Amino acid sequence: MSNNNYFSGLFFGIKSLLIGLGVTMKEFFTRKITEQYPENRKELKMFDRFRGRLIMPHNENNEHKCIGCGLCQMACPNGSIKVTTEMLEAEDGKKKRSLVKYEYDLGCCMFCELCITACPQGAIEFCTDFENAVFDRAKLVQQLNKPGSKVAEKKPVAKPVAPAAAKPVTEAKPVAPAAAEPATEAKPAAPAAAKPAAPAESAEAPVEKKESNPETPAAV
Amino acid sequence: MFDFKVVTNWIDTLLLSFLPGWAATLVECVLVALAIITLYAVFAIILIYMERKICAFFQCRLGPNRVGKWGSIQVLADVLKMLTKEIIDMKNVDRLLHKMAPFLVIVASMLTFACLPWNKGAEVLDFNIGIFFFLAAGSIGVVGILLAGWSSNNKYALIGAMRSGAQIISYEVSIGLVMLTMIVLTGTMSFSEICQQQADLGWNIFRGHIPAVLCFIIYLIAGNAECNRGPFDMPEAESELTAGYHVEYSGMHFGFYYLAEYLNLFICAGIASTIFLGGWAPFHIPGLDGFNHVMDYIPGAVWMLGKTFFVVFLLMWIRWTFPRLRIDQLLALEWKYLMPMSLVLLVLMAICVSLGLTF
Amino acid sequence: MTLDNIKTLEPSQLREEMQALKSKGFDYLSNLIGMDWGEEEGLGVVYCVENTQTHEQAWLKTATADREQPVIPTVSDLWDIANIYEREAYDFYGIIFAGHPDMRRIFLREDWVGYPMRKDDKPAEQNPLRMTNEPLADDTTEYTLQPDGSLITKKNIIFGPDDYVVNIGPQHPSTHGVLHFRVALDGEIIRKIDPVLGYIHRGVEKLNESYTYPQTLALTDRLDYLGAMQSRHALCMCIEKAMGIEVSDRVQVVRTILDELQRIDSHILFFSCLCQDMGATTAFLYGFRDREKILDIFEETCGGRLIINYNTIGGLMADIHPNFQKRVKEFIPYMRKNIKEYHALFTGNVIFQNRSKGIGPLTKEQVISFGCTGGTGRAAGWANDVRKNHPYAAYDRVDFHQVLRESGDSFDRYMIRLDEILESLNIIEQLIDNIPEGNYKEKTKPIIKVPEGTYYQAVETSRGEFGVFLESKGDKSPYRLHYRSTGLPLVAAMDTACRGFKIADLVTIGGTMDYIVPDIDR
Repeated sequence: MSNNNYFSGLFFGIKSLLIGLGVTMKEFFTRKITEQYPENRKELKMFDRFRGRLIMPHNENNEHKCIGCGLCQMACPNGSIKVTTEMLEAEDGKKKRSLVKYEYDLGCCMFCELCITACPQGAIEFCTDFENAVFDRAKLVQQLNKPGSKVAEKKPVAKPVAPAAAKPVTEAKPVAPAAAEPATEAKPAAPAAAKPAAPAESAEAPVEKKESNPETPAAV
Repeated sequence: MFDFKVVTNWIDTLLLSFLPGWAATLVECVLVALAIITLYAVFAIILIYMERKICAFFQCRLGPNRVGKWGSIQVLADVLKMLTKEIIDMKNVDRLLHKMAPFLVIVASMLTFACLPWNKGAEVLDFNIGIFFFLAAGSIGVVGILLAGWSSNNKYALIGAMRSGAQIISYEVSIGLVMLTMIVLTGTMSFSEICQQQADLGWNIFRGHIPAVLCFIIYLIAGNAECNRGPFDMPEAESELTAGYHVEYSGMHFGFYYLAEYLNLFICAGIASTIFLGGWAPFHIPGLDGFNHVMDYIPGAVWMLGKTFFVVFLLMWIRWTFPRLRIDQLLALEWKYLMPMSLVLLVLMAICVSLGLTF
Repeated sequence: MTLDNIKTLEPSQLREEMQALKSKGFDYLSNLIGMDWGEEEGLGVVYCVENTQTHEQAWLKTATADREQPVIPTVSDLWDIANIYEREAYDFYGIIFAGHPDMRRIFLREDWVGYPMRKDDKPAEQNPLRMTNEPLADDTTEYTLQPDGSLITKKNIIFGPDDYVVNIGPQHPSTHGVLHFRVALDGEIIRKIDPVLGYIHRGVEKLNESYTYPQTLALTDRLDYLGAMQSRHALCMCIEKAMGIEVSDRVQVVRTILDELQRIDSHILFFSCLCQDMGATTAFLYGFRDREKILDIFEETCGGRLIINYNTIGGLMADIHPNFQKRVKEFIPYMRKNIKEYHALFTGNVIFQNRSKGIGPLTKEQVISFGCTGGTGRAAGWANDVRKNHPYAAYDRVDFHQVLRESGDSFDRYMIRLDEILESLNIIEQLIDNIPEGNYKEKTKPIIKVPEGTYYQAVETSRGEFGVFLESKGDKSPYRLHYRSTGLPLVAAMDTACRGFKIADLVTIGGTMDYIVPDIDR
C-alpha cells in the first residue's frame, strides 16, 4: 500500500462514515412509523380481502347458505374442515341433506382459500378479524354454523337443488309475511330468504323450532 | 463553584465527634461504597433506557412505551425480571472460574467508576497517579471476559473471548498513548487536579487545540472498542457468535455483563469528559465575565453529567449507524491507524507544550 | 413446455453422453431429478442440461429396473452441483451413484429407514418418532461399480479428529432459518464447510403426489416465501400450458407486475438482513420500513402479505384491487428515493466495503458448474436471467436489461440486488398504466386433470431459476412434481466460496448469497 493510498483511504473512510452519521441523524428527527396497536384498534382497519379466519355468514333470520355438500372439506389440503350432515325428509317426502355441524380448525388452516373457491353456494368466506389468539388449542376448533341456524332457501330461479324445498315457499306465504316484510328495509335479499324459513322449520326440524322462533321476530 | 468538600468534611467532623478515628473512617467507607453502588445501579438503568430510546429513534421506531409513561419503568421491570431469573448450572464447565468471571468484570467496572470526579471535592478515588490507576483497574475486566470464554467450555464463547482479549489489549495501547498525550499537556495524573486546572485555564480540548481534538476522537474510537460496543462488538457479534463470551451465562450472572457493558460506556464517556471536556469545570469564554458568572451557578455535577451524557449520545449514534468490523480490520485499524497516529500526537503535543503553543 | 423428446439412455451410456454434451457447451446442469417409474421401468433420473450460450436445453433420462440395488453412474465430477442433487436422489429414491464421493443422506436423518419418495415405501411404519438426537457421521461412503456389477465401498473422511468443528446453526441468527453448517476452523479461518440440510424439510414433493392440482398450489408459497408470487406463477403456468389454457393478457401483465413487486420485496429484505448480519441494525429497520409498503399492496389485492396465494390455475384469485395502480405508482418514486438512502448509509460505508469487496468470490465457471442462478450468478458475469433467456408472461414486451457484474464477490452480489430493484421498478413503471382489459380468470373444470405427459416450466424468482417439473399420468394429482430449488445450489457453493475466509465472512457470504431455507429443504 502506497502512502497515497493510506491517506486517501483514510479520508474516504472518514467521509463515508460521516455521510452515514448524517443519514441516521436525519432519521432521528423524522416522524416515527410505529403503529400503536392496540391503542389504534378503532382506526385500524384491515384490507377487505385479508384472510383472518373462516366464517359462515348468517342473515338476520339465523340462516346460512351451506347445503352441506362437503366440497370444501374435500378441497381442504389440511383437513381443517369437518362437515357433519344428516338426511332429513322434507314435507313432500323427498330426502334432503342438511347441515348439522360445520367444524373449522383454525389451528390447521393455511388460508389457501380453496374451500371458498370450491363452495358452490358462496356459503363461507374469510372475515378480516385477526385477533384470533386463544389460550387453549381446543378453542381453535370453531363451529361456524350458529346454533339453531337453518339453510336459507334459494329464490326459485336459483338452482336445481332448491326445488324440493322451494315448494313450501308457496304454501307458507300466508304465514310468513308478517315476520318477513319489515326486513325488506334491512336487506334487499332478505325477504326471499326469510320467507321459507318458517315453513322449513316446521317441516324439517321441529326440535329446533323453539329456539329459532323467538329469535326471528327479535331480529326484525 | 460549590466545593463538595464542605459536605464531606461536615460528615467527617460529625462522625469523629462521637466515634474513634478508625470507626469514623470505616463508616465513611461504607457510606461511600453504598453511594457508589447505588449510583452504579441508577446510571445503568438510565443508560439502558437511554440506549433503547435513542436506538429506536434512529430506527424510525418509538422504543419502549408500554411500562409507565413513555416506557420509563420498562428497565426497572427488566431488572426485576433479571433478578428473579434462575442461574443455570452448566455441566462440564470450570465451575469456580465460571462463577468468578462476572464478578471480576463488575469489580473492574466499579473500581473505574469510582475514579470519576463528580464535582469539585467529590472524587471517591483520587490520588496522584489517578489515570494510571484507572488504566490498571480497567484492565481487570478483560480477565473476566477471558475467564468467561475459557470456563464456559463452549466454542463460541472461546472464540469470543479470544477476540476480546486481542481487541482490548490492542486498544489499550491507544488509550494509554492518548492519556499520556494529555498528561503531557496537564502535567498531572490526578483527576482532581486535571479538573481544577481546566476550571482555571479552560478545557483541555481548547487548550491543546489540534492534537487534543484528534486525541479526543482517537479516545472515543478506542474507548468504544474497549467497551466492546458496536461497531467493535466482535466478542459478542451476535450474528456470528450468537453472544460470544457470555453465551453460557444466565440470570444475574449475565446481568453483570450487561450492567458492566453499559457502565463501561458511561465510564468511558465520563473519562473523556474529565480529560478533554473539563469534567465538572463549567464552560467559560474568556472575556465574557457575565456569561462566565452565570455558567458558574450551574453545579459541577450537572456539568459533569451533561458532558458525559453528551459523549454517551455520540457513542450511541456511532453504534446505531455502522456495521460491525471484522476482527482483522479491527486490529488493522488499531495498529495501522490509531496507534501510529497517537504516537505522532504525543510528539506533537510535547512540542506544543515545550514551545508554549498551548493556550 | 411439454417435454416430449426426452432422450432415454442406458446407465452405461450415461457418462459418455453427458461428457459429450458438456463438451458441446451444455455446461449448466439445471435439473437432476430422481424418479420412480414403477416396477417395470424402475428407478431413474431425469437430467436437464442447458447451453449457457444458446440457452438450448437437452433433457435426458436413465433408469434401472433393479430396485434392490439401483446403481447409476455419477456426473458429480462434471458438474459440481450434481454432488448435492445426487445426494437428494439417493436420499429419496435410494439410487446409488457409483463414483460419487459422498453418498450420504441430505435432507432426512441419517438413521432414516427406507426411501420415502419410492411409490412402494411406507415411511410412517418404518420411522417412528425418534426421541434420540440425530447422529451426524464424520465420514461418508463412496461406492465404486466393478465390471462384474458388484459394488465396492470406501470410507471418505469429512472431518478428521484434528479439525476444530464449530456448528453454525441450526439455531443461529445469521443462517436465515434452520440451516446447519458444520465449519472446520483454523483460528478464525474457515477450512471446510459441510452443510447439513433438512431441518425444515416438509416433504412437499411427496405431499404433492397425493394432492389435487389446486391443492398443490397452496404449498408453493411456502417454499421460497420471498418468491411466493413467482413460484406459484411457475406452477400455474406449468399446469396451464399442460392443459392448454390460454390466460388473458390482463393476467399476464398483472402477474408480471406482481412478480416484480415480489422481487423488490425480496431484495429489500436481502438488504435488511445483510445489514443486520453485519451489525448495522438501523439499516435493517429502514429496509423493513420500505418493505411494509409492498406488503400493504399485496395485502390489499391478494389478501396476504407473506403467503400471498394469488395466482391460480387459469388466472388470478381475484381481480386487482381498485387502489392497486394508485398505490404502486406512489411506491415507485418512494422506493427510488429510499434506495439513495441505502447507498448513503450502507453501500458507501467504508466498513461494509472492506468487509465485502473481494470476499467470497465465485468465478463464472464456478457459478455455472454449481448452477448458482439469479443474482449470485449474474454477479459473476453469467447472463442467466430466465426472463431474458426463456421469456414468459409479459417480459417479452417490456424493455429492461439484465444487470451483470464481473468479479462475483460479496460486494457485487449485493450491488446486483440493489440495481435489480431499480430495474424492477422500471418494468413496473412500463406496465402499470397499460394493464389491458380481460378476464382475470379463465373458466376451468371443477376437477383439474392434466393430460399424460412431462412438463417443465421455469421462472426467474427473486433468487434465481425456479423450475417446476411435472410428470402426469392423467390423474387429478401429479405423478411427480419436482421443484428446482433456487437456494440449494447457493448452499452447495458455500464451501467453495468460504474456504480461506474468516468466520465473520461466512456471515457476509451467506447473506449475499441470499438463500431461503424452506426453499432448499422443500
